[in-house]
Amino acid sequence: MADERSRWRDDFPVRWDDDNYMTRRELAKFLTLGSGLLAGVNGLIAVIGLTGRMPAAPVRRIAAVDDIAPGGSMLFRYPTDEDPCILVRDSSGRFDAFSQVCTHLSCAIVHRPDDHALACPCHRGAFSSSDGRPLAGPPTRRLPRIVVEERDGEIVATGVEV
Amino acid sequence: MESRQQGLTLFSAVLVLIALLVVIQLWLVAAAVDALLSRQTTVLVPTAIASAGLFVLSGGLLSYVVSFDARLRRWSRRG
Repeated sequence: MADERSRWRDDFPVRWDDDNYMTRRELAKFLTLGSGLLAGVNGLIAVIGLTGRMPAAPVRRIAAVDDIAPGGSMLFRYPTDEDPCILVRDSSGRFDAFSQVCTHLSCAIVHRPDDHALACPCHRGAFSSSDGRPLAGPPTRRLPRIVVEERDGEIVATGVEV
Repeated sequence: MESRQQGLTLFSAVLVLIALLVVIQLWLVAAAVDALLSRQTTVLVPTAIASAGLFVLSGGLLSYVVSFDARLRRWSRRG
């Protein structure tokens, strides 16, 4: 046992005299300094969120009105090519569009016309296809709505409502 | 229990309390970043105010315990 201990000490020589100890007082000061930094970061985030201007959403044609039958849907990208969205036409002919990214864990949602829902297959989440509010499953936040208008027989996207 | 031992216990307790407050602040920062990225700006001001309040509380606890320690040391020297 004594030999094992000495081998261990040879392999991992630790000189306790060289160790840097931290007093309770130092640790408390360090934690309070960290607390101040975190408060500053939180304030900075609030300032950025309240004063930062988001770029204006472009006006973009999505499809012709006749391209989608009542109860149908189509995928498009808006406001950038990195933002997948879904355009839904209900049985009355009204158009609604939403982000296709589930607000739970960012899976792609699909249209379920029979349930009037947009469903997320990953964790069985569901959103209303008329206003994007969560109906079932883990999502708690509504889907961002894409503002769409009919102009001369065309469906155009004009903005995003988060 | 001796006063010195009481002081150490108090210091340790305050230390744990400050650490807890810092953990809550970390959670607040995470919530604020999440809200910022999802553009829910209504959450940002309350989290900033809460975080500032926790910082003030941490500072208050630190100054209390440091002054308590100083008083204890003075008292020990006299005794």
